[in-house]
Amino acid sequence: MMTPRECFHAAMNHEQPDRLLIDMGKHIGSIHRRAYVRLKDYLGDETMVNENKILDRMAQTVVPDESLLRRLDIDFRWLVPHWVQVTERDDIPGYIDMWGVPYKAAGDWDHCVVDGAPLRQATLENIDDFQWPDPHDPDQFRGLREKAKRLFENTDYVIGADAIKAGVLMNSLQMRGYDRFFMDLIIDKPFAEALMDKILWTLKEMWSRYLEEVGPYVQLVYLTDDLGSQTSLLISPKLFREMLMPRMKELHDHIKSLADVKLMFHTDGAVLPLIDDFLAMNVDILNPVQTSVTGLEDTFALKESFGDRLCFHGAIDVQQVLPNATTEELEQEIALRIYDLGRDGGYILAPCHNIGHDIPPQNVITLFEKAREFGRDPAGLKKIVETGRSYFNRNR
Amino acid sequence: MSINDKLYDAIVFGERDVVVEIVQKAVDNGEDVVELLNVTMIPALREVGNQFSSGEVFVPEMLVSARAMQGGVDIIEPLLASSGHRPIAKVCIGSVKGDLHDIGKNLVVIMLKGSGFEVDDLGVDCRIADFEAAVERGAQVVCLSALLSTTRDAMRPVADHFTGRDEVKVVVGGAVITQEFADEIGADGFGFDASDAVRAVRESLGLAAVPA
Repeated sequence: MMTPRECFHAAMNHEQPDRLLIDMGKHIGSIHRRAYVRLKDYLGDETMVNENKILDRMAQTVVPDESLLRRLDIDFRWLVPHWVQVTERDDIPGYIDMWGVPYKAAGDWDHCVVDGAPLRQATLENIDDFQWPDPHDPDQFRGLREKAKRLFENTDYVIGADAIKAGVLMNSLQMRGYDRFFMDLIIDKPFAEALMDKILWTLKEMWSRYLEEVGPYVQLVYLTDDLGSQTSLLISPKLFREMLMPRMKELHDHIKSLADVKLMFHTDGAVLPLIDDFLAMNVDILNPVQTSVTGLEDTFALKESFGDRLCFHGAIDVQQVLPNATTEELEQEIALRIYDLGRDGGYILAPCHNIGHDIPPQNVITLFEKAREFGRDPAGLKKIVETGRSYFNRNR
Repeated sequence: MSINDKLYDAIVFGERDVVVEIVQKAVDNGEDVVELLNVTMIPALREVGNQFSSGEVFVPEMLVSARAMQGGVDIIEPLLASSGHRPIAKVCIGSVKGDLHDIGKNLVVIMLKGSGFEVDDLGVDCRIADFEAAVERGAQVVCLSALLSTTRDAMRPVADHFTGRDEVKVVVGGAVITQEFADEIGADGFGFDASDAVRAVRESLGLAAVPA
């Protein structure tokens, strides 16, 4: 039987591995701390103790315990950079991240949201005066080399370098203010370019150090940005190709020059019109294939169009299916996505985003148990798929 | 008065300086600014909204158009009040309790204002009392926004609060909202996107649809 790491190499080469790869536990793909407590109670698993070990402070997700990853039979283990250069706010509950972006806690720390834009008033002349993050902070990746080496030498899991939070576009939007930066892209291009270049340089420096530590041990890296809304792209393909794409490609090429890794790129939203561009940006795996948005509902067509060149990660919807589907509908959804995307490798099943506290624990367990069961024989799922009893069909 | 093509195009293409120049000239010449607003400016922003809905333009273009339109509105606003111009209706809008996302909501505000509504923007993390206070200030429609599936249910008590009060309409929208959900909580309307939200608000008030 193939190990998870062997399956990963096969799947990335578009060959059918003998088991479906299943993932959970990284940045934008873990469990909210309240959902975690409910899952722990549901399972009666006292070895799950990480409810206060926060992975992503904004989303209030946790770093899952090893015992849970084993129980759910997860094939991946993620190395997570430490939050650094974060300051607590003294005015209201919240914090300021390393990019100087303030967050405030909502709903008793249910999650945090952006609460101001430090560069809203900045000009091209004074953009360098801003307190930029220190890209050489020794704490950012402390201990990750040892962890990566240990996982590499003693386990068969796929080892991933989790994201340094947010890419060129999201950081620009948050630092400048969404409305201001969207307009800068059209009416103040020199400022927009200077801001993006500064962010790009900082990210490249950080990735150099990150991969110096873990590069020999990881099989994939994860990069996050966001280019789509529920129904469309955030910016036009033309503006994307002119302003964003060259910079994103530069970051991707830089990373690939440092280590032999597959690159997984996260963007939420209705991004179908940009998939050829992602391929040109050296993206190997697209995450999360948000099936609840316009254009990505039909994963069979997606695989037909791009499956020989692009791998997919995700496709199990957290906005509607996991919170609301009946067990039968959830099983149908899992079967459908494995059938559509799992042919000839190239698919890693995972929830599209974090598992929120509106998702019942039994659906979490059903998801991972059925994915493992169904993943043994993707072609054999045709019968279940053909019943057409999906959540989306019921609600369309 | 016929449509002012140059002004119309300047709004559609987001050229604020051109808008300001044309509107200022119109004001200096004593032209009817209410006509200018109704015949040229509002239809121009509606055109941008339609282009947004059909995927021809995106958020940046819409923001730049709204900024251009605002440049003109700032000039004529003092004159509108004295000319007896009235907005179509007064609407309040806010992201529901626990939800602090406001990008989509801000686009809806742009489209509503640009379509001739007076908008009482309540911001984010709004409670029932905030919406009730806005209704007391004259809002006829309460627009609720939510991005997260975990905060969506906070719409339910707000909709319940206004149940049975025919003079107050509730319209909902946001990434995780569906027509089914809107029906389930008894909302009077559901807006699929920022442009569609204007249609939903008009329909909730029993106003005729505006031709695209």
